[in-house]
Amino acid sequence: MIQVAGKQIEWREGMTVSDLLAELKDPHPYAVVRINQQYVTRPNFEHTYVPDDSEVYLIPMVAGG
Amino acid sequence: MPDYHFKATKTLDYKRPDITNGYAGQTLYVNLSDGQIETKPVDAKTKKTFIGGKGYDLWLLWNAVQPTTLWNDPENALCIAAGPLGGTPIYPGSGKSIVATLSPLTGSVIDSNVGGYFGPYLKFSGFDALEIQGKTTSEVVVFIDGINEKVQIFETSGLPDNAYELSAILTEHFAEGKPRNVSVVSTGPGAKNTLLGCLNFTWYDPKRKRARYKQAGRGGVGTVFADKGLKAIVACWKTVTADTNNPADKARLKDVAKLHSREIVELDPKQNEMAKIGTTHLVTIMNDHDLLPTHNFRYGRHDQAPNLGQEVYRRLFDPGFDGCWMGCTVACSHGIKDFVPLSGPYKGKKVFVDGPEYETIAGCGSNLGIFDPHTVAEMNFYCDAYGLDTISVGTGVAFVMECFEMGLIDTTHTGGLDLHFGNRDAALEIVHQMAAGEGFGQIVGRGVRKMKAIFAKDFGADATIMQDIGMEAKGLEFSEYMTKESLAQQGGYGLALKGPQHDEAWLIFLDMVHNFMPTFEQKAEALHWFPMFRTWFALCGLCKLPWNDIIPEDNKDTAEPAKVMKHVQWYADYFSSITGIESGPEDLINMSEGVYNFQRIFNLRMGFGRREHDGLPYRAMGPVTETEYESRAERYDKQLSEIYKFDIDEKSTAEKLAALRKHREQQYDTLKDAVYNRRGWTNDGIPTLKTAKRLGIDFDDVVELLKANGVNS
Repeated sequence: MIQVAGKQIEWREGMTVSDLLAELKDPHPYAVVRINQQYVTRPNFEHTYVPDDSEVYLIPMVAGG
Repeated sequence: MPDYHFKATKTLDYKRPDITNGYAGQTLYVNLSDGQIETKPVDAKTKKTFIGGKGYDLWLLWNAVQPTTLWNDPENALCIAAGPLGGTPIYPGSGKSIVATLSPLTGSVIDSNVGGYFGPYLKFSGFDALEIQGKTTSEVVVFIDGINEKVQIFETSGLPDNAYELSAILTEHFAEGKPRNVSVVSTGPGAKNTLLGCLNFTWYDPKRKRARYKQAGRGGVGTVFADKGLKAIVACWKTVTADTNNPADKARLKDVAKLHSREIVELDPKQNEMAKIGTTHLVTIMNDHDLLPTHNFRYGRHDQAPNLGQEVYRRLFDPGFDGCWMGCTVACSHGIKDFVPLSGPYKGKKVFVDGPEYETIAGCGSNLGIFDPHTVAEMNFYCDAYGLDTISVGTGVAFVMECFEMGLIDTTHTGGLDLHFGNRDAALEIVHQMAAGEGFGQIVGRGVRKMKAIFAKDFGADATIMQDIGMEAKGLEFSEYMTKESLAQQGGYGLALKGPQHDEAWLIFLDMVHNFMPTFEQKAEALHWFPMFRTWFALCGLCKLPWNDIIPEDNKDTAEPAKVMKHVQWYADYFSSITGIESGPEDLINMSEGVYNFQRIFNLRMGFGRREHDGLPYRAMGPVTETEYESRAERYDKQLSEIYKFDIDEKSTAEKLAALRKHREQQYDTLKDAVYNRRGWTNDGIPTLKTAKRLGIDFDDVVELLKANGVNS
């Protein structure tokens, strides 16, 4: 089970960040998510696996310095 | 402890006015040439038009200087102000000071915002702004003692030059046992010996029992300060509460402050963890999106970038509360305890490093091809102590490293320094030379624009290629974001009033990553709204981080997520509750628009505010060299064929490079047209008379200036 944006999502073997976002059915174009303390950016969504028992944060990236 | 001496040469005893709805109602004037100290009332028209903070600074500066005034003329004024909301301890990010003066780098107006306690203490001492004119050959400390209602000028001797020790000594000297009551503004030897000087603004950290500091970095404000003979300015004030600003509606203030403060406490841990890692999270995020400058902005990505990322600084930062203003829940001003430099006067000694932030990591790290966090921390420490701007230092050293690698300069010019990218020792040595005003560092300390001229004239270097790779505009060095793939951010830098600093508009993600603004008109609209709203923070004495670095969870479902309108409404409530002037979001934009246009006209007055001054080095727009093109050939080839309908078959890299350049330069020019039109400016980038009238800035001398520049309607 993984925790994402306050929801419990069933974890499955080989689940990538892209898979997770698709499952959430959230149309917002996220550019960054954080898995526990590790930042993952959109170019890496397709090949970054989400570990079981992890906490995923959806980062609304509109600001810079 | 050094044997130092203070001699009071002038004293003004004054009656401190009550703060009314965020305003003291007067400013403080100090002339260092003749020792004059006086207070000046703020009239209703000034308050309505300029609001406070940067607005007040600009108005004082406008009246102090002439079109012919140079940065080092005695009449140049150094102005520092908080704003009407500044000094509120219950609303996050409410402790900013804004500095404005004529810049030694640009020759025109520069403004720079900074944390620390000075601005609020200045205001609570009875002054909405401080204006310092004149120069002295002595070393002086200006002391603003709001507790005892006294302003004094001291001649001093024996004080150390570097800000690290100076801040500690002056805090102790003036504290009378209460160091939290003191805020010191100072610079260092690098400010005297270069044009890149920054100012350090302190606050006292009771947990670590030391004076910490933040920097007003940009445009050489510290150099002006040092040139005036100022050793330091010290403000002293006592307890600050939500009542100190005497808000018009305290209950409303408390309600909105609680909403914003609590939201940050709840959401920052779920978002960027700024209370733990500051802005260091940006390093790897920018790197992954090809936006982290490496090797003088050639590229936006490097395999070793994670060495400078948040996971490293998470371990290096000393944990604890790090707010640069009281009660700020963003609390992002982290530092490194017991750091031991490997070079310079503190070699082998334990010091505390205030930082680094993202800009310093990118400027003094990746952009120099240095991926070692220890070197970045050491550069950070010495730049602060020497009074040098880490952004201009980083971008300046990156430029000379590329010139060295291109063979435009060599060791005969650099005093034997091997300036290949990645040479950590050489980068640090340049910083030490800058501080001492010696060797090649003396030339680097003049900034990129002047280096280009020196290298061409004295070293015979190719001026054309240096124009393309020297990352400055209007004379100011670029801050640390890649803009090649974001036309909107090219505008965010090129059309910024003071030069390429991201504090007007940071649109890269909205434009490049999210593609929220595909048309020129949409980009122009963003380049109107965002600079205006961000200007408003500088008018009021606020930090912008609480606005859009921690975002409501439902923000993405709003009509305009980029603007974070829920927070904009909170800011309107905040302004209304303090000042008693009922305001909505659109009113905040209107407040800024007047000041923003006035600053553009100020540039014009100083000979800089036209279309020709909004140019960019080509590297900000696209690949300069064939190697750069080839490194992202797939991207550029696709753009040429699909967007520009350019037949790339059998074309050489040089031909494709030239074609891409033609299109990109054309795009930037079209963007200027769209932005000028949206802002109510002429095609030459000058506010029209109609715009000046609409905004209430049609003062006689403004109208005269516009007409003298051919603007008659």
